[in-house]
Amino acid sequence: MEGFIATKLDEFDRGKISRRHLIESLTLAATTAYATGGAKAEGPALKVALVNHISYSCPNFRQAGDWYSKVFNLDQVGLKETEVTLPFGKMGELPYNVTAKDVPVTFIIARSINRPQNPNTAGRPKPEAVIDHIGFTVADFDREHAKAELIAMGVKNVRDGGLYSLHMDDPFGYDVQISGLANNALTDK
Amino acid sequence: MERFIADLVKNYESGRMDRREFCQTVALAATVYAAGDAAKAQAPRGLKMIGINHISYTCPDYAKARDWYASVLGMDKTPGTDNGQRANLAFGPEPGKGGSFVVARTARPPANPRPPAQAVVDHVCYTIPNWEDGRVNAGLKATGRPFTSRSGNVNVLDPFNYPVQLANSEEENPWK
Repeated sequence: MEGFIATKLDEFDRGKISRRHLIESLTLAATTAYATGGAKAEGPALKVALVNHISYSCPNFRQAGDWYSKVFNLDQVGLKETEVTLPFGKMGELPYNVTAKDVPVTFIIARSINRPQNPNTAGRPKPEAVIDHIGFTVADFDREHAKAELIAMGVKNVRDGGLYSLHMDDPFGYDVQISGLANNALTDK
Repeated sequence: MERFIADLVKNYESGRMDRREFCQTVALAATVYAAGDAAKAQAPRGLKMIGINHISYTCPDYAKARDWYASVLGMDKTPGTDNGQRANLAFGPEPGKGGSFVVARTARPPANPRPPAQAVVDHVCYTIPNWEDGRVNAGLKATGRPFTSRSGNVNVLDPFNYPVQLANSEEENPWK
């Protein structure tokens, strides 16, 4: 703000802008800054737009990557020694119903649980919370059709979940849920 | 197909189509038919992923998690879903239109115990649009929770020490 004021004042001093222009610019800047400050005080400072990625660690990341690729038709990119990335779309695509250009499609990073520890995370306290399952939204979800298809693919422990979804086990016994758009924050109770 | 060929034969018989033309048309029809069958046979199986529906987060006190994710990450407490043991926290597109939510739950003995998984989701990263380092750092500093940051990317521990990453699209995207 101060930099802006100084710049405007400098322009006025050098005759680049009129007195009237200076006053209008500074008034607008001041009232906008005030309004923004007020909004921040009322709401959270940050607002997440989407899950960027899920970091999934398991004994065999290639096996996990292949399973998620097969079941969800996901490409694998960025293969490294201990991880592979599975984006929920192609390069250049926007996430479903997202218009902001700076929100990339969500992705899973399948990682080796035995990878070298990141020095930046060493010494962290052990979490008391756990993410016990992830629910994925799939297009045109029809429970019976999806169930038949998953069983045909050899997916283990496929079972109904609530009114709108299915659960299954991935290759490492992690609970994976799928549903359509009908299962959402308002309907999942 | 049968009907189509029957019509061709009729045309051939009536002289409206010569022999050469008839043969070429049937051959073409057979090729197209076979291609269709092959396409069906090779149709990709599997499901079409839209996105994350929800993250099931279990912790010692759902209310503490609920309030933190709402106040710090700006998730919306979904009306009618808080039953004293769990609550839904929505974010992104509207519910039913591709939006996601965190289900914050208080841990309790499961009704149907499952064998422990060999895999773990060790952290979740969320995208923050219109990223400004100063705003993000100030927002996290105000929470009093430990965090580390570099431009466009921060790591913070939630109230139960679960690692949460926040990033912009330049720092974290699948093709980086």
